[in-house]
Parts: sequence; C-alpha cells; structure tokens
Amino acid sequence: MLRFLARRILIMIPLTIGITFISFAAMSLIPGNFVANLALDPRISPQVLKQMEAEFGLDQPLMLRYARWLWGIAHLRLGVSLAYRVDVIHLIGPRVLNTVLLALSSMALTWLLAIPIGVIVAVRQNSILDRTLSFLSFLGMSVPAFFLAFLAIDFALWSGWFPVGQTMSPDYAALDLWSRIADRADHLILPALVLGLAGVASLMRLMRSQILEIKNADYVRTARAKGLPESIVLYKHVLRNALNPFVTMAGYGLADLLGGAALVESVMNLQGLGLLLLNAVMKRDVPLVMGSVLMGTVLLLVGNLLADMALAAVDPRVNFTTLEAQ
Amino acid sequence: MAAFAIAVAAVAAICGCRVNRPRNDHAATQTLYDSMVSDPGTFNPVLITDSASAVAIGDMFESLTRVNPRTTLFEPGLARSWEFSDGDQTLTFHLRHDVKWSDGAPFTARDVLFTMRVIYDPKIPNSMVSAMMIDGKPIAASAPDDYTVVVRMPRPFAPILSSMQFAILPAHVLAGAYEAGRFNRTWGIDTPPDRLIGLGAFLMTRYVPAQLIAYRRNSDYWMRDEQGAPLPRLKGEVHLIVPDQNAQYLQFQSGMTDVYHPRPEEVWPLEQAAKRLNITVAKVGIDTGSLFFAFNRNPRHYVHDGVADPRYQWFTDVNFMRALAHAVDKQGMIDLCYRGLAVPAVSDVSPENKIYHNPNLKDYGYNLELAAQILDRAGYRMIRPGVRGDPEGRPLVFRLTTNTGVPVRDQMCAIFKQDLQKLGITVNYRPLDFITLVKALDLSFDWDCVLIGFTGAIEPNDASDFLRSSGNLHIWDPAQPKPATPWEAQIDHLMDEGTMVVDPYKRARYYWQIQQILHDQLPMIETVRAVTYVAYRNSLENYYPTVWGLYHPEWIEFRAR
Repeated sequence: MLRFLARRILIMIPLTIGITFISFAAMSLIPGNFVANLALDPRISPQVLKQMEAEFGLDQPLMLRYARWLWGIAHLRLGVSLAYRVDVIHLIGPRVLNTVLLALSSMALTWLLAIPIGVIVAVRQNSILDRTLSFLSFLGMSVPAFFLAFLAIDFALWSGWFPVGQTMSPDYAALDLWSRIADRADHLILPALVLGLAGVASLMRLMRSQILEIKNADYVRTARAKGLPESIVLYKHVLRNALNPFVTMAGYGLADLLGGAALVESVMNLQGLGLLLLNAVMKRDVPLVMGSVLMGTVLLLVGNLLADMALAAVDPRVNFTTLEAQ
Repeated sequence: MAAFAIAVAAVAAICGCRVNRPRNDHAATQTLYDSMVSDPGTFNPVLITDSASAVAIGDMFESLTRVNPRTTLFEPGLARSWEFSDGDQTLTFHLRHDVKWSDGAPFTARDVLFTMRVIYDPKIPNSMVSAMMIDGKPIAASAPDDYTVVVRMPRPFAPILSSMQFAILPAHVLAGAYEAGRFNRTWGIDTPPDRLIGLGAFLMTRYVPAQLIAYRRNSDYWMRDEQGAPLPRLKGEVHLIVPDQNAQYLQFQSGMTDVYHPRPEEVWPLEQAAKRLNITVAKVGIDTGSLFFAFNRNPRHYVHDGVADPRYQWFTDVNFMRALAHAVDKQGMIDLCYRGLAVPAVSDVSPENKIYHNPNLKDYGYNLELAAQILDRAGYRMIRPGVRGDPEGRPLVFRLTTNTGVPVRDQMCAIFKQDLQKLGITVNYRPLDFITLVKALDLSFDWDCVLIGFTGAIEPNDASDFLRSSGNLHIWDPAQPKPATPWEAQIDHLMDEGTMVVDPYKRARYYWQIQQILHDQLPMIETVRAVTYVAYRNSLENYYPTVWGLYHPEWIEFRAR
C-alpha cells in the first residue's frame, strides 16, 4: 500500500506541473495584462503603468515568469496577488474553507437522502411511491442549480426562516464556539440543499438501478436460499455491493461540486473560491488565478486518490495490487 | 422504511441547529450597515487604484480640503483656512491644531510633506501624482512651522486645491517602512486594523475578507456640531462585502443593510414597498460621468501606404457625424434601458457639475428624416434599397463595440444599430471583454465606433488626458504629436488658459467653450445619463445623499425610539 501511495503521489507532480503550465500559458496568451485594468483611469499616466509593469515583472518573457512562479511553489510560496498586494494564500485560505465546507456538506446531504430513497424505491419497484419519487427526481435533475439558488434566496427572504446569503452573521466574531458552529450551519443549509438536490435525483436513480440489478444476482439468490432474513440479504449483500460505484464517484464528485459551487456561490453570495477565481481571471491577476488553479488541481488529485483507496477498502475484489496495475 | 426515517431525522437535526438570536438592532447600537461590491485591494491611501479600497478607508483618512457636495466648492478639512498670494503662485495652508492620529500623536505639517514625498517617489507608482504635476514639474512645498504648509507653483495653477486633496499619511508611523523601501507592501489588506493609524471620523476594528469591514467611531475626531457636541453621531459602521447586486437588493429588503443604491428597474418596486419596509426612496441626482459613442479618427489605424480607409473620411466629416447624432434615439434608450430614469446627455460634463457644466448647448434631437436629409445633401446617397453609400459610392459599413457584461450598453448599441439600419448604414456589433477593448483603444487602435463611459470629476482639468490632443485617453486619436485639427488645437489652448485663473466662476467660461466645440465637431456623440436613486431606512436621520457623496455624513444617526 505504501508503494501504491508513493507512486501515486510521484505521478501527481508532473501532472500538476502540466496543468499549471497550460493555465499559465493560457493566461498569458489572452490579450492584456493586469495593468490594462487601469489604462482608462485618467489619473494614472502611461509612465506609472510602465513602472507598475516593471514592478510586477509583467514585462518579462513567459518562460521566465513561469519558472519564477514554480520556484516560489517549490518553496511553498504562492506569490503576491497583483490586485491585492498580499500573499495569495491570505486570499485563498478562507475561501477554500467556505467552498470545501459547502461541497462536503452538500455531498453528505446528497448521500444521506439519495441512498435511503434509492433503496426504498428499488424495493418497492413500480409502486406509486416509486413513480412519484422518480418523477420528482427527474424534475430535480432538470432544474439547474443556479435557478434553484434564486428560488431558495427568495424563499429565505419571504419566510424569514433562513439568512439571505452570506456564510456567517455580521456578529460572528462575538459568538461563542457553539453559536459559531450553529451560525455556520444555519447559513449552510439552503446552499447545501440547492447544490445537493440535483445530485440527490441522479444518485437516487443510480442507486435504484444498482439494487435492481444486484437483486437478481446469483449470490443474492444463494443468500436467500440459505434462508437469511430479507433485511440481512438487503443490507449486507445487496446494499454493500451496490455502493461500490458511489465510492469511485465521490472522488470525481468533489471536483464537480467545486465547479457547480461557483454558480451557487455567486447567486447566494457565499464567499468561495469560484467567484474569486472568476474575478481574478477577468482582472488578469495571474498569481491569484494560478493559486486557485493549483488549489483546485490538488483537491481533485487528492480526492481521486482517496476515492481509490476507499474503494480498495470497501470492495474485496479491488486491492492495491490491482489498482497499481491500472 | 427505517432508512427513510433516518434520513428525515438527519434533515431535521440539521435544521434543528438554527440559531434564534435576537435580531441585530442597528438603531440600538447606532451602527450603520451598508454593502460594497468587492474586497478592497489595499488599505494604503497612496496605493489605491480601485473604488472598493477608496470606500474601505474613506472615513479613516482626510485631506487638507474637502468638497461641499451641494455647492461643489472647497471647504476646510485638516486645513482650517488657506490663501493665495504672490500672483496666485503661492498657496499657504493653515492647519488645524486640534487633530490627533488614532495613536495619540498630533497631526502636523510634517505629515503633509511626508505624504507629498511618497507621492512624488518614482518607485511608488500611484494615481495621485499626475494631478500634482504642473507642466511636467512637481509642486514645491515647505513648512515654516508645524501648522503651516506653503506650496509654490511655477505658474498660477487653478486645479491646485483639487490636486492637494490627497489623504494625509501619518509620517511617524510610515516613515520607517518608506525609508526601508517597503512602502509598496505596507498597509496591505493583511494588516491588523489596529495598526492602521488614521484621523478620520471612523477607525477600522475588523476586516473579514469577503465578508465585512467594521468600524468604530473615532472619539477624538476634530469635528463638532453647532452645539459643540462631538461628531460623528453614529457609534459604528459596517460595510458588508456583497459582490452580487441581486443579493445586495435582497439583503436590503431583509433588513441586513440600511442603505441601498437601486438599479433603475428596482426603483419602482422599492417605492411600492416603501411603507411595508419602512424605507424612503429618494432621488439622488444625475450621473456625474458621461456615456458616449466615440468614433475612431486615428490615421494610424486608417491610413496605410498612403491610402486612407473610407471610414476615416466619414468619421472626420462633420456632416456625417451630425446625421448620426440625429439618429441616436435618446428617449428610446431612456425608456427601454433605464425605465425612464435617465435624462438625455448633451454635454460631456454632467449638469451636476454646477459651475463647469455648459447649460446653453442644444441637443441634436432624434430625427431620422433630418438625418437622412443631411446625409443626402452631403453626398451620402442610397446606392440600392436599404444601402447608403458615401460620395464615392462605397457602402456605409462600420463596426460597433462596447465592453461585455453591461446589459444597458448592449441594449443601447442595439437601438443605435437598428436606427442606423433605417438610414441604410450597416453596423456590425460585437462587444469585447473589458481588457481586450482597452487594448484595442490604446494599443492596436483597431476599432471603428465604441460605446464607452467615463466617470466624472468636479475639477475640469482632471479630464485633461481626455480633452488634450496629446492625451492618452483622447479616445478618437490619442497621443497626437501636434493637434490634428484646428479645433483640437483650440481645445488645447483653452485647457491651458483654464488652469491660469483661480476663481472657479471665471474659469468656467473656458470649459463651457470646450463643451461647445466638442458638441459642434462631434468626435463623440453623447447618449444619456442615469438618474440615480437611493433607498434608506426611515429610522436614519440627517441622511443627505448627493451624487458627489453624502452631505455632512458626520451628522447621520438613528432616531432614538
């Protein structure tokens, strides 16, 4: 297992360099740089713009700039944002926390809802309950998350039960630890629901078809033939095998959620990575963009690694030797 | 079924952690909540290039003079008085004796001289320095004593009071970092708020990135009200950072903020809900900027190998431009894009600039028949149905652009394109992302017509880079070695003359004349100006918004209940 881990981590290095170089080059190829934001400001003269370009090193060739950036990363420095003049980590840190919190809680919510519902509708295949929930799930899948976000924020305003956007209350700093956790959770419920709802629908459909497929497998028939009670057959034999694809999906799902979160974050005004990255690209704030890209890349790669390891733990047919062989 | 019950229980548990804390009572704590669209870039007053930073530290620092937003005239700030002498070439400021920095140190002339030294330092690129250069030379300043600053100019320079409106830095705090060459990274947004030493009405207590900035009242603030009671009256301020305007709108309705600047389409719904929400919706005034169609008349773009592109001839032909000016449906734009909440713009200076706006210009007026007549008479005739040609018979086709992401500009371009189509002129419209557009305007010059806006300032010389033929923002033909046309030469001359006279009312006539020239020669066609509104809680007292900022914000308070 250690060999497997070491190999996977080593592979991550060239992968990360490749992804970041492509992003870096793309950022440099689009016309204009950060200083161009200021070019239409009558108070800023062209000489000042030139001085700023030199100060930020924007007048140097692409390879040199990338090499410098990489050198900084090797020393665990993400660089200094051009727009904010502070270390990028200072900007990304709190937002990564918000985004990951949102993604994880919506994922947890999705699973908590989708798996039991999927089991129920599979067990009662073709009942009215099955039909109703299937209809609702198709509805859920076809409504885009950002639209749901608008509805949710209107609902919050109309009902007054939930805060309207933001990730914490203005008086957060004055609260004690438990109130802080409660305050955070209070602000998370609606966005997590919005982001998770489409996922609930599709995961529940997947769960249903998985169980229907496995329900008729040979080993299930054997289990029944042994005289095991139906609940043990269902929870131990059917459910455990039905869960395998979910474990794999979790790794990719995290990346998906990070992407989907950007839209919901923007509509519900949750200060996450998505909006920061979008604004940084618009402003050509290269160090900030690269910091966010690096963060996303690492999250995705680590997520996949964890998913693979979890699969080995859950599925007896998969072990680290077979994973390495892939 | 058990699984379903567990799921329901889980959801119920999550919902159960809702907190029932008392509603944050802004009036009881005398704390004003409003929202800003983005995080500040810096807390260092000299390094500011974005509006969010200016909002973030606006109440913490002050300058020698301030502008009365109602009269647009200068008022005493940190200087209690000033006078011109020596044929208007010397300006003497007498500073207040009773001003203290928030760490207790007194404010003195040393702080003013230090700030000027920083601004003039070539290693510190900043947006203040260009306004403080007179014919390319810096202003000399000296301090005969701790509370007097004497400014000497190489010639009379009327915009000097406006130039001297920079926020004063605390020399005793920042001189060390400056001497060590660390100024450009001093007072960034990672600075603990208690290390930001200010002297304004409010002091920062907390900055949570992407969430909020909180302030407390400066109990040592120098200003007093008529009864001699200390100001400001509010005990605190909070700026919530809310990038999405829809979210800002909803948060105002839910009571999270006390002040909101609605978009045109939100004004009517807010007025309808005013009673229920207990708010006032008030008209603030006319936008101070200008939004116009500019036409490229840059020979560097149109003339290649001695052959001029026909568009160069059209856009420099004043008859062609006059016809186009009659084809701008300003009322249509006002009704459609601004829900009626705008006025036609005639001059490049907003009517809110009370002294310098020329009220005598006559709007061209939307009249397609007249436009067609002018074109016919000037030789631009229909060459086939629906297509008009120039005197040489070449069809009239040009490109139109603006920056993406502003729906109003999209709609205005669509209206303009449609009306020109009726005249037989084909317009190819393609919006560009802002930075790409900027590169086209100031580097490649590859554009024909652009809908673009500039923000406005009270000091007319601030538009120097736009108005002078040598200016980089002289959009239609920037950075000319010498004026391309007689009227551009005349504008240059008037710009020089306008800076020689100190009295604003006597200065005004030079700028009125410049507005007349631009109106006649039409290098750009003005469109409309939005009428801005503000909505605020009825419990707020002394809230007097103007387009140039709040009038006496120190008096604002929540009514005691």
